[in-house]
Amino acid sequence: MAFQLSRHAITISRRALSTSLVKSQSAKAPALNQEQVDSYYPKIGNRDIVGFGFNGNPNYQDRPEFPAPAVRWAPNTEEIQALRQKEAGDWSKLSMEEKKALYRASFRHTYAEMKAPTGEWKSILAGTLLGCAVAGWFMVWLKAYVYPSLPVSITDEWKEDMLEKAIKQQQNPVEGVASKWDYESNRWKN
Amino acid sequence: MLRIFTSRVASVVETAARANLSATSIVSRRCMSKHVVESEEEFDARYESFFNRPDIDGWEVRKAMNDIHADDLVPEPKIVIAALKACRRINDYALAVRYLEAIKDKTGPKQGEIWPYMLKELQPTLSELGISTPEEMGYDKPEFASESVYDMH
Repeated sequence: MAFQLSRHAITISRRALSTSLVKSQSAKAPALNQEQVDSYYPKIGNRDIVGFGFNGNPNYQDRPEFPAPAVRWAPNTEEIQALRQKEAGDWSKLSMEEKKALYRASFRHTYAEMKAPTGEWKSILAGTLLGCAVAGWFMVWLKAYVYPSLPVSITDEWKEDMLEKAIKQQQNPVEGVASKWDYESNRWKN
Repeated sequence: MLRIFTSRVASVVETAARANLSATSIVSRRCMSKHVVESEEEFDARYESFFNRPDIDGWEVRKAMNDIHADDLVPEPKIVIAALKACRRINDYALAVRYLEAIKDKTGPKQGEIWPYMLKELQPTLSELGISTPEEMGYDKPEFASESVYDMH
């Protein structure tokens, strides 16, 4: 138990000092300082920070335009660590299940899954049409119960009377209505 | 006396003007930016040699992949080969498959032309390193469906 604990402590401190399994094996300067390590862990759990993230943040995002996010999707478990040991060897000896397990340990969605249609357009279309329907029925209700009836000046008889009066008064004789009326034969000019 | 005075003043003014002129010309020369256009060969060679560095680490591989992916281009097969070999050196199989997927996505509407060519060029490297293509892994179609993060709570 004590041995396991100390081993665990060693992995944690290595992870804290460096950013990936590979880097901990090589003797390179750590890419994260202690302050950054304290701010990111344990928020991101037992996951490796393996790269420079979107906007520099150590988080996981499935974005088609950003193929390699900063942290691995899955936390490090003993199975995946054992698989990583095997990954260090010949890749053609990995079975398809192991390859897929490795992929899903690093990434949540494949590109095909990221770009798969969600069917969301249906709810958007339904919502838009529902909004139009509500607005239409609201207008019907307003006309029935709120607005007064249209004024009498909207009727055809009223408009014809207005035209007749305009002609009698000779309104706009140069270019307007009176210029188009023949006052001698009492009809419209051609 | 006046003549001497005026000639002196004139020479002083002239020196000052010359100094001023030369100063401005230096400044303007310094402020001028020279736009260097990188040729395609230089671009390819830059990324190829970057991926081919023997001591490259996972951060640098991912950064270069993300940077190339952000450019308006599909990388040449020799860059992709160098990237796959870099994945081999940092022992990251998943990243190699992910990058193949990313390139396939990047070909966009010309996927039918570029992707078969890319696979043909990459085939020796893929079999040498034992990398399965996204198609072989069944990743050209969605394998799993997952709940949207916006529907979880």
